[in-house]
Amino acid sequence: MATTVLAPGATRVRQRSAVYDWLTTTDHKKIGILYTGNSFIFFLLAGLLALAIRSELAQPGLQFLNPSEYNQMFTMHGTTMVFLVLMPFLAGIANYVVPLQVGAADMAFPRINALSFWMLPLGGILLFSGFFLGGAAAEGWTSYSPLAGVKYSPGVGTDLWIVSLVLIGTSSILGSINFLTTIFKLRAPGMTLLRMPIFVWTVVVTSLLIMLATPVFTSGVVLLFIDRNYGGNFFDPATGGNPILWQNLFWFFGHPEVYILILPAMGVISEILPVFSRKPLFGYKAFIFATALIGTLGFSVWAHHMFTTGAVFNPFFSFMTFLIAVPTGIKFFNWLATMHRGQLSFATPMLFALGFLSIFLIGGLDGAVLASPPADYALHDTYWIVAHIHFVFFGGTMFGVFAALYYWFPKMFGARLNEGLGRIHFVLMFMGTILTFFPMHMLGLDGMPRRIVDYSPNAGWSDLNLLATIGGFIIGISVLPFMWNVFITLRGPRDAGDDPWDGNTLEWATTSPPPPYNFDHLPPIRSERPLFDLKHGSIHDLDGVAVPAVASGEGAH
Amino acid sequence: MSPRVRKAAAIAGLVGLTALVSGCSAMYPPNPVTDQGKDIWSLYNLFFVIAAVIFVGVEGVIVWSILRYRRRGDQLPRQTHGNNVLEVVWTAIPTALVLGLFVISFGIQGRVDAKVPDPPVTVDVTGFQWQWTFEYKDHGLSYTGLGDQGPVMWLPVGETVHIRLHSNNVIHSFYVPAFLFKRDVIPGQVNNFDLKIDQAGTYNGQCAQLCGMDHYQMVFSVKAVPPAEFQAWLQAEEIKARATPTPAASGAAGTTLQLGASNTQSFDKSALDAAANQPFSVQLTNSTPSAPHNFAIKDATGKVLFTGLPLAQPNQSVTYSVPALPAGTYTFFCSVHPNMTGTLTVK
Amino acid sequence: MAASTDVARTTAEPQAAGHAQRGMDTAMVGMLLFIASEAMFFAGLFGAYFNVKATHLVWPPEGFELDLPLAAVMTLILITSSFTMQWAMVRIRRGDRTGMNRALVVTIILGVVFLAGQLWDYAHLGFGISSGVYGSLFFTMTGFHFAHVVGGVIGLSLVLARGASGQFSARHHTAVAAVGMYWDFVDLVWIGLFTVLYLVK
Repeated sequence: MATTVLAPGATRVRQRSAVYDWLTTTDHKKIGILYTGNSFIFFLLAGLLALAIRSELAQPGLQFLNPSEYNQMFTMHGTTMVFLVLMPFLAGIANYVVPLQVGAADMAFPRINALSFWMLPLGGILLFSGFFLGGAAAEGWTSYSPLAGVKYSPGVGTDLWIVSLVLIGTSSILGSINFLTTIFKLRAPGMTLLRMPIFVWTVVVTSLLIMLATPVFTSGVVLLFIDRNYGGNFFDPATGGNPILWQNLFWFFGHPEVYILILPAMGVISEILPVFSRKPLFGYKAFIFATALIGTLGFSVWAHHMFTTGAVFNPFFSFMTFLIAVPTGIKFFNWLATMHRGQLSFATPMLFALGFLSIFLIGGLDGAVLASPPADYALHDTYWIVAHIHFVFFGGTMFGVFAALYYWFPKMFGARLNEGLGRIHFVLMFMGTILTFFPMHMLGLDGMPRRIVDYSPNAGWSDLNLLATIGGFIIGISVLPFMWNVFITLRGPRDAGDDPWDGNTLEWATTSPPPPYNFDHLPPIRSERPLFDLKHGSIHDLDGVAVPAVASGEGAH
Repeated sequence: MSPRVRKAAAIAGLVGLTALVSGCSAMYPPNPVTDQGKDIWSLYNLFFVIAAVIFVGVEGVIVWSILRYRRRGDQLPRQTHGNNVLEVVWTAIPTALVLGLFVISFGIQGRVDAKVPDPPVTVDVTGFQWQWTFEYKDHGLSYTGLGDQGPVMWLPVGETVHIRLHSNNVIHSFYVPAFLFKRDVIPGQVNNFDLKIDQAGTYNGQCAQLCGMDHYQMVFSVKAVPPAEFQAWLQAEEIKARATPTPAASGAAGTTLQLGASNTQSFDKSALDAAANQPFSVQLTNSTPSAPHNFAIKDATGKVLFTGLPLAQPNQSVTYSVPALPAGTYTFFCSVHPNMTGTLTVK
Repeated sequence: MAASTDVARTTAEPQAAGHAQRGMDTAMVGMLLFIASEAMFFAGLFGAYFNVKATHLVWPPEGFELDLPLAAVMTLILITSSFTMQWAMVRIRRGDRTGMNRALVVTIILGVVFLAGQLWDYAHLGFGISSGVYGSLFFTMTGFHFAHVVGGVIGLSLVLARGASGQFSARHHTAVAAVGMYWDFVDLVWIGLFTVLYLVK
C-alpha cells in the first residue's frame, strides 16, 4: 500500500523548550489540550464556589457567607461554568477531534485558533479579578437590569464581567468560524457531508448557533456597559429605556446557548454508543435532521424564560418550546435503538454515556413541564429550575465531557485511563448528581426560591438542603479519582495503540498521539464509518458480513 | 461486568426505585388554595404522570439493554442502520402528544390569566429594596413591612381580588407558593392579575426575582379570612387610620442629631452620641431613590425601644422625637432594612 | 489490510489558504462567516431599537432632530465607495495592479470623507449618548458602524500597501476580495441604518 506523507517538510521541526512550544503552538491537538486543561482548572474553581454555596445552604442561618458574598458566589459559579468550563471543554474536545475526524491536517485558521484559546485565560482572570477589586459581579449569571445597572450595582465587578464576556464571546465566535470553515473546506476526499461523523455534524450546528447568537449577547452587554459607564438609558424606564429589552437580548442568545452546550455532548454520546454497541448509529440521517431542527427551533423559544414578566406573548413561545421536545425525543429513540440488539461493553466512556442518557432524560422532562406557562408561574425562579439546569448541564453536558475525555484520552496521550478508577469516578459522580439535584425538585415545588442565601428554619426545607449538600460534596470527591487517574496514567506506559476501542472513525486510523500533520495515509472513505469499513470489509451487509469492495478504479467521490 | 458489580448495580437500582416510588408524593406542589392554583395543580398532575410514564419506559429500555445485550463473543451484531417507518412513528406520536399538551396548557393559561371587569377588592403592591408595601387605595390604607416579617395582606375568601404590581427600582417577583403563582414586579410596567382564594389561612410569600443583597429576606404573607371578618378588619383599620393622623414631624426637643440614608446598606454615620436621661431628636434625611427608611433603637438584648414613625419616604426628611434613655450603649437601625445599623452611645 | 484501492490518490494536496479547489476560497469562507457574525451583532442593536420604539407612543421623542441631507450625502459617498471597490476588483482580475491601487486609494478617501462627515454630524446634533434612550440608541448604532468603517479603512490601507509593494495578481488576490466583501457589508449596514434611523424613523 502506498504511503503518502502529507507535508514532507513537517517532520523537520526545530527543537524548542516545551513551555515555548505550548505557549506558541498553532497545532489544533495541542490547542485542544490547552482548552481542556484550562477548562478543568475553571471547573475546579467554579466547583469550589458551588461547594461554598451548598455549605452555606446546608442549614438555615447565615453560617459563613454574608448576603453580598453569597450573591457573588452563585453569579460567578454560573458565569464560570457556562463560559469558562462547559463551552471551552466542548470547544477543546472539538478542536482536537474534528480535524482528525474529517481527515484534515489542522484547522482552517491555525493562528486564529491559538488566539481563540488565549483569550480564555485572559477573560477568566479579568472575570475573577472582581473578587479583589471590591466585589465580583453579583446579579446572577443572567444579570438582569435594572439591578445590574450602575445605580444598584456600582462596583467594578459587573464591568469586569461585561468585558471578560466580550472577550470570551469573541473567542467562541472566532472558534465557530474556524470549525465551520474547516468542516466545509478541509474534509478529506470521499468524505461527503453525509459521511461525516455525527460529532462533526453537531459541531456544525453548534458553530452556527454560536456564530448567530453570541453576537447578540455581545450587543446586549455592550448596551449594559454604555448604560453603566456613559450615561446610556437602554434599560432605565425613567429615561425611556426598557428593562425587558435586556431580558429579550439576553435570552435570544441564552436559549441557543443551552443548545450550544448540549449538542456537542450529544454528539459525543452518538460517537460512543455505536462503538461500544458494535452497531452503527441508528438513524444517522434522522439524527442530523433532529440536530438541525433543534438548532433552528432553538432560536424561536427564548421568551419561555420570561413567561412571568407579562411582557411577552406566552402562547407562541409555549408552542415552540413544546415542539422542540420532539427532536430531542427522536435522538433518544435513536440512541436506544443503537443499543438494541447490540453487543454492549461497559468501559468508562460507555458508563458516562449511559449516565448521560439517564440523567439528561430527567432534565429534559423537567423542561417539558416548564414549556407550559401556568406550570411555569408556579416553578419559575424556584429550585425546580436549579434542578432542571443542573440535570441537563451537569448530568448532560458534563457527563458528556467526561465521556469524551475517557474516550479520546488514549488518542491524545497514547494511554488509556485506568478503568478501576474510572468506575469509582463514575459511580460517585452519578450518585452525587442524583443526590444533589433531585431533592431540588421537591424544594422548588414546595416554594423555595432560587438565589437566596438563607431560608427560614420553619419552612421545612432544611433536610432536603442538607441532603443536597452531602451530594455536592460527593460530586466534589468524585473528581479526585479522575485527577489521580490522569496523573498516574501520564506517568505510565503509553501503550494504547492506534485504536484501543475498536472505533469507527478516522481519528483511530493514525498513531496515538497523531503526528503533527495527523495522517500518514487515510483509508478510503465510503461511509460515516471509514475505519469500520476498513477493518470489517469495505462494504458490509446488514449482518456485518464483508462484501468484496468495488474495483479500485473509482476516484475521490 | 463482574458479578459483584452487577449485584451492586442491582441493589442501587432497587434502592433508587424505592426512593422514586416513595418520593413520588413529594414531587407535587402544595395543595393550592386559589381557583387559579387548582387549575395549575391539575395541569402539573397531568404533566407529572406523563413524565413519570416516559421516564420509567425509557429508563427501563436502557436498563434492559444493559442487561440483555451485554457483549458475548466477537461476532458483530446485525448492522442495522435505521428504519424510516420507525422514525416517522416516533416523530409523529411525540408531536401529537406535545400538541395535545399545548392545547390543554393554553386553555389553563386562559383561565389563570382571566380578569373580571369589576373586582370587589383591589390591592396595590409595591416592591422596593427589600420590603413590600400593600395599599388598599379605595380605603386609604397602606402597610409597609418592617424588619424581617414583611407586611400582611388581608384578603377575603371566595371573592375575586385584583392585584396590581409596581416598582420604581429593580425587578422583583410576587410569589405565593400556596397559590402556585408568581408574577414579576417590573419598573415602568404595571402587571396585574386576579386571585380568588377559596380557603382561609395565612400563606407565606417571598420575592422570587433576585433584587440585590437582602433579596432572601423580602418576605410577606397573605391572610385570607371570611368576607365578614375582612369587612370588619377594613372598617377597623379605616377608623384607626383616621384617628391616628400621621405623626407630624415634631419640633426639635433637646439636641437634634443629623443622620442620612443614601442607600439601603448603611446610614451615613455608624456612630451617634446623645446625652443621658434627656429626650433628643434625630433628623433623618432619606436620599435613596426608592426605599423608605426610618430611625429605630434597640438595646443590647435586641429589645426594640423606639420605632420612628412615619417612615421617611424617598427624598424626604423626617425628624423623630426620641424619649429619654438611660446611659448605655444601644444599637440604632432602620426598621425597614435591619442590616442598616450603627452604635448609639448615651452618656 | 485495505483492499487494492490506491490510497495515495485519496489523499489530496493540502488545502492551502487561497487555493480553492472547488467553491469559495477558504479565506473567503472565513470572511463570509465573520461578516455573518457581525451582522448578528448589528441585528441585536436594531432589535433593541425596534423594541424600545414599540414601547413609545411618540417616536422619535420630542426634540431629537436628525440631519437628513447630510446623512443622504454620506450614504451616496459610501455607496460610491462600494463601486470604486468593485472597480478595484475588476482591475486586479485583469492583472492591472496599478488600476487596482488607484481604485483602492479612491475608496479609502471616500471612506475617510464618510468618517469625517459622521464626526461633523456628531458635533452638530445637539444631543449625546446620554440624552435619553433615543440618544443612546442613535450614538450606539452609528458609533459601532463608525468603528466598523475605521476597521474597513485600515483593511483597505493594508491591502493598498501590499498592492503598492507589488503583491497581488490576476490569480492571487484573495485579501483584496475579502476586504472588498467586508467593505460591501459595512455599506449595507449603513444603508440599513439610514433607512431605519432617517427614513422609516
